[in-house]
Amino acid sequence: MLPGNGGELLTPRTWQTVPGAADTRIFAEIRKADVISSNSYLIQTPDLLLLVDPGGLLSQAEILATAVTRCRDDTGLPLMVMLTHAHVDHFIGMQACPALFDPEHSILAVHDAGAMAIERRDPNLTQGEVLGREFAAMPVGVHLFGDSKCCDTIRTKEIRLPHKVTISCVRDRFSPEPGIYIDRECLLFSSGHRIELYHTPGHSPDSCCIRVGRTLFIGDLLFAANPGIAGLCGWDQDDLIRSLEGMLAMFKSGTIDIVCPGHGRIITVNHACTMLEGVLADARALTDIAELNRHRAEETARFAEDCMEEINELFTILAGRLYYVAHVMDELGETDMAVQAGTLMDGDVLDGLLESFREFAAAHHAQDHVSIHLALKAGQVIGKLERSFMKDKVARIIDVSLVTRAGRLLSSYSTMLRGFTPPREREACALCTVIESVIIGLSGPSCSDDDILASTDDEAAFSRLLLARIGTRPLLDGIRVSFARGTDDPCVLIDRDLFSDLLTYILEDLVGTGAEELALGVTTDQACATVTITGTGGKNGGGPASTVRGFFLRLCERAGGSLSGECTPGGHRYTIAVNRAA
Amino acid sequence: MDITTTMHGGATVLAVNGRVDTTTAGDLESAINSRIAEGNRRLLLDFGGVTYISSGGLRVLLATAKKLRNDGDRYALCRLSPEVHKVMKLAGFTSIFSIYASQDEALAAW
Repeated sequence: MLPGNGGELLTPRTWQTVPGAADTRIFAEIRKADVISSNSYLIQTPDLLLLVDPGGLLSQAEILATAVTRCRDDTGLPLMVMLTHAHVDHFIGMQACPALFDPEHSILAVHDAGAMAIERRDPNLTQGEVLGREFAAMPVGVHLFGDSKCCDTIRTKEIRLPHKVTISCVRDRFSPEPGIYIDRECLLFSSGHRIELYHTPGHSPDSCCIRVGRTLFIGDLLFAANPGIAGLCGWDQDDLIRSLEGMLAMFKSGTIDIVCPGHGRIITVNHACTMLEGVLADARALTDIAELNRHRAEETARFAEDCMEEINELFTILAGRLYYVAHVMDELGETDMAVQAGTLMDGDVLDGLLESFREFAAAHHAQDHVSIHLALKAGQVIGKLERSFMKDKVARIIDVSLVTRAGRLLSSYSTMLRGFTPPREREACALCTVIESVIIGLSGPSCSDDDILASTDDEAAFSRLLLARIGTRPLLDGIRVSFARGTDDPCVLIDRDLFSDLLTYILEDLVGTGAEELALGVTTDQACATVTITGTGGKNGGGPASTVRGFFLRLCERAGGSLSGECTPGGHRYTIAVNRAA
Repeated sequence: MDITTTMHGGATVLAVNGRVDTTTAGDLESAINSRIAEGNRRLLLDFGGVTYISSGGLRVLLATAKKLRNDGDRYALCRLSPEVHKVMKLAGFTSIFSIYASQDEALAAW
């Protein structure tokens, strides 16, 4: 998702020949991928200057304007600004830059749907609402694909450009392979040159790919199934799948060499093929995702910060526990096992990722940026954690409960960012049985003394059990726990896994901050069951914060209950209310 | 993060304020190592002002424990915030280190 600021196939900010078009030059402005601004490509043909996507930043537009002005002074060619699609990060930078927006010398060309969105200042289709950017209405001189939605016969029309240049525009349906069709519009110049446009909706209704020679400008097609991108207003899964299938067939037809995306580095067609196959697989899985509007972006960003707070704590504990195991094994002279435990998580990488989010979030709040940026940054950090987290190996050494919750935490956020609702499977459960199961799970060692003694003849098994015995530290070991469960076991409607996670988080919070005694109780009335968890005692910790963490509140809501917390004399109490099953 | 060093009899107290994270853990380690290199082997870390500790910070605490395990050495922490206490407790560190509620309590135990 975030390739480097690369331009290996084309040197950025340098005029060079377009592959497959000897008398055509290109000047590429390549940016590290983000949602603030797109890449921009300025192309000089014998007939005109073509600027593909001027981007979302004034500074970027000014660099392009300088190149355009010099080029126009030398050649006298008119400028056509063409958008791969009308999202604000692809065009808003040109608004304050007269050299790119001067009707005497330039004309704006956008697919008809995008053209209307720009002319009407539509904040939704242009993503101005989600990205927090307003723009002025602009006249769009050329509505590409403007006659009708589809075209079964060849149609020709003329387009008048500035400087009295007239070009022919031919519309047809292109078939890169039998059974696959893409709407195409070809701009034909008197010199014999042509620029081809392919309508590839899905990311947005107006998305187009633009072909010059053997180079294809594909806008955001490679990112259209990404978390935080899929589901934007105008996004359409069926259209996207058709567009991806069409362009994949075109890529495989051997007519394209270089692919220039709207964000990130330029790639070869072979690389693009591999990436597009991945995008297609992702797109096919994106059934029933929620629309990513401003409200959902804000909700996702809040969830991101809650999750990152828990991830920060949980992963620091996981890394610390592995250091602890390595330390103990080292003390015992078991160097190999110490190394094995100490290298399962790279603490420096972990700390770096967590710190990068913290710094990003601090800058984000200081500058009052839009929510989607924070949500995407969290997605980036969590994606890296998910890829590097060797869950199965870590779970062989330290508490499965910790590892499982860490994995669930990462996947919950990824799920939400992708536009799905994190799963909640509420079912009728015996509440006291669930609570007792959590208490038992947090009370005993991972393996018994007998297990360890029985393994002494098998060196590998003994090592494995010894590591697990040291790495697993029962949370409630040494803690006085009482559970007043009442006479019956009320049947309640909860997501058992999420409720168990919540109870574990709460018990960890109380014990971790110094409680030496825990009292759990269940009371019921006709409609509800109420669980209280009170932690008292301890002299080293001051008890958890007086306000309940947002993450706990959300987790409880997803589990099927409501949560409150209060300080008590010498401790802290959490109260969970859940509905009884009918 | 800032560190204030004071001497109490034969003990050295490093009072740490701020975040012990990826950018500051190295500074804490350097400060500790300097005191040990000077021959101060009775070390109390006062974490009353520490609001956050990263895995890198935990590693520094463990590395110090390895350096201070001779007869006569002393190494402890005091005044942990609830957040830091929780991370250390759940990571298993409270079974390695002596942890006290105050400087006075720690020094009295030595």
